[in-house]
Amino acid sequence: MPIEIKNLCYSYKQGTPFEKKVLHNVNLSINDGEFIGLIGPTQSGKTTLAQHCNALIIPQKGRVVVNGCDTAEKNANLTDLRQNVGYVFQNPDYQLFAPTVGEDIAFGPVNQKLGRDEINNRVREAMEQVGLDYNIFYKRDIFALSGGQKRRAAIAGVLACRPRVMILDDVTAGLDPRGREEILAVVRKLHEEKMLTIIFISNSMDEVAMLADRIAVLDKGHIIIDDTTKSVFGEAEKLQQIGLELPEVMEITGKLREYGFKLPQTLITLDEVVELISADLQGKQVGE
Amino acid sequence: MEKLIEVTNLAYTYRAGAGNAVTALSGINMEVYRGEFLAITGQNGSGKSTLARHFNGLLTPDRGEVFVEGIPITDKKRIADIRKAVGMVFQNPDNQLVSSIVEEDVAFGPENLGLAPEVIRNRVDWALKTLNIESLRLESPNNLSEGQKQLVAIAGVLAMKPECIVLDEPTAHLDPRSRREVLENVTRLNRNEGITIILLTHFMNEVVFCDRMIIMDMGKIIITGTPQDVFNKEADIVRLGLDFPVAARIASGLRAKGLILPESIIDAEELVNQLCLLK
Amino acid sequence: MELTKNITLGVYLPGETVIHRLDPRTKIVIASLLIFLLLMIKSYPAYGMILLFLTAVIFISGIPIRYALCGLKPMLPVLILMWFFQLFLYSSPDAHVIFSWWIFTATDAGMHMGNLISLRVFFLFGATTILTLTTSMVGLTDGMESLLNPLRKIGLPTQELVMTMVIALRFVLILAEELDKIVKAQMARGVAFDRGNFIQKTKKLFPVFLPLFINAFKRAEELIVAMESRSYTGGKGRTKMKTLHMGRVDLIAGLIMLIFSAIVILIIFTIQPQI
Repeated sequence: MPIEIKNLCYSYKQGTPFEKKVLHNVNLSINDGEFIGLIGPTQSGKTTLAQHCNALIIPQKGRVVVNGCDTAEKNANLTDLRQNVGYVFQNPDYQLFAPTVGEDIAFGPVNQKLGRDEINNRVREAMEQVGLDYNIFYKRDIFALSGGQKRRAAIAGVLACRPRVMILDDVTAGLDPRGREEILAVVRKLHEEKMLTIIFISNSMDEVAMLADRIAVLDKGHIIIDDTTKSVFGEAEKLQQIGLELPEVMEITGKLREYGFKLPQTLITLDEVVELISADLQGKQVGE
Repeated sequence: MEKLIEVTNLAYTYRAGAGNAVTALSGINMEVYRGEFLAITGQNGSGKSTLARHFNGLLTPDRGEVFVEGIPITDKKRIADIRKAVGMVFQNPDNQLVSSIVEEDVAFGPENLGLAPEVIRNRVDWALKTLNIESLRLESPNNLSEGQKQLVAIAGVLAMKPECIVLDEPTAHLDPRSRREVLENVTRLNRNEGITIILLTHFMNEVVFCDRMIIMDMGKIIITGTPQDVFNKEADIVRLGLDFPVAARIASGLRAKGLILPESIIDAEELVNQLCLLK
Repeated sequence: MELTKNITLGVYLPGETVIHRLDPRTKIVIASLLIFLLLMIKSYPAYGMILLFLTAVIFISGIPIRYALCGLKPMLPVLILMWFFQLFLYSSPDAHVIFSWWIFTATDAGMHMGNLISLRVFFLFGATTILTLTTSMVGLTDGMESLLNPLRKIGLPTQELVMTMVIALRFVLILAEELDKIVKAQMARGVAFDRGNFIQKTKKLFPVFLPLFINAFKRAEELIVAMESRSYTGGKGRTKMKTLHMGRVDLIAGLIMLIFSAIVILIIFTIQPQI
């Protein structure tokens, strides 16, 4: 389900003295099965851009075409479109509407007016995909969930609509390391096994670096870089200039490079770093 | 060193409704020294917030005792003194800012202390200046970024001139840049203003600058020590579901490769320095 | 889908004009006087005076007129409905019938009544909108607190009331944004808010309010803890950083208002009311 964004502009509170331009002439095409990371400093327009992708926001200027359907078209079936392009919000408290986990996950399928068995199947399947045990959690009170479990329930609620594209808007914020790992594992599995197209918004460069094939960098409503993950991190200076923090590994390799260590100017894994440093140092020691 | 806060044998149980008792803390013994930078870490639900809420009497112990500057927190008559000495900053800045104007919000605490208008004005100016947010003075918190809001919340506590500031996961919802900014400011308050800092966090790269750290799990203190000591217990930290600073991981990888590096490496700067010595 | 976009009542538009610089107490008193006058006016010339006055104030304060008016949009259906109500239901013995159909009879008296009441609502709205657009909420509450202060003597907890207002004001916007997010989250899962009749649409709002209320309670709980740990124990013993000062402009504004009120009252008593 490809998404084509052409010359998209958007202003917040258009027509009032508080008008603020959020997106300027954005062009982006997202292909089927891609894992694209959307990064940028706070208030750079990431969320606004992503919400155009499932017609939560209708373009003021420009076009957004999802699977051949223009979201600004008068008779476009936006309800169907939103089921196909799922959106998981940053804060799970805004997207859990029912008292129990099972009822909440069924919310989407119930809106689709599916049969009872079908709904039940979908809930069971969605819970399994996010690693919430059906027998334990189906009747569990939403408020009795931990932060990580709440987020998994929120993802399951979107999965139950059987989307082909999934937008994840900073879903690891506020989780502890273990909770974060669990969510990221779920996301990776959905991409690899279910072949879902993933649009992944995050403040954490480490997460994006680990997961995304391609990254679009937003700054003040402009897309300033749109390239493969490796190439994007090759432009470390540009990223830092707009106020992004590099992955921790890159900060260390960057400093070491200044002192003459032979390390590449892009993102490498921790093991690679260890390998290269030890080769560099031990080569020297042998040479002496 | 002088003890600012002393906790002996503290136990606390949450009772939610009928019969649903959850033991949040048990057998806690610890102290906080005047002027130190103490980090308390642990997974969500490990009890660190519950413990912290005893430091200024928001919760009172089920068993055991907590003293702030020698005053037991159960002393209802002196609770005002305790709250004046120990300020608290919470995770979500939106839920702790009261006013729609930054400087008025910062003034809220001193106003509660019943200070004279010009004294409040001075303190507000000082707090905003110390945190480098004077330019936000007349803004509405609604127009600020999460990071800026959190700095305003800290300024609000700072303006009360506390001995100690407890920060309960102040960076959990912040982007990395704001997180660094908040942390730098907190560190500066400790170093330059001599304010005792207690930082609750689950980001391990935030604790590398503290003097001492405590790791909690399931309502108990598991490890206490300097960050250098604590990060030598790699196996323990991984078992407790916590992260390990990247620099420490690289150092340990290099040691495995036969390089001789000190065990105390936990932050990037130290790692780079040590590696340069080898070069 | 921006819920807060067309709300002008309660929004503050920062500025540096004379109107902005007036002491909030002056503005509150002037606005109250205007409202009082509006409730007495029964003739078009007097409304003309008010229109003149408000236009002048809008002009001086630099508020874009189009923006000031866009807040009226949601009220328009109510205004029109009210006008028709008066047109058909109000009558007096010496009224001329304009037209009559089935059980409906429209008289000129009814039309005038409709006009006057619509104008009254329109101007009431205008006066309060201008007040909030040019006065920060904090200014307003400070002004209210100061004006209400004498009532403390008879045991009214004015400081607590004003504190409640201050907090409510801060959280109205937060809750509006939160509502926006919840509505979006439901749309994303297949709720079609834009479809269906009125009852169906209303029914769809129930699951929106559940998370909104729950979150609001959670916020309130956290806020109480935060306030408590900042030594808040109620209004007693509290001082204020800012004290209000009246200046020359306030005196001048007060005088202008007095003269204006005198003229309007003169018009009210000399010109034959329309009804």
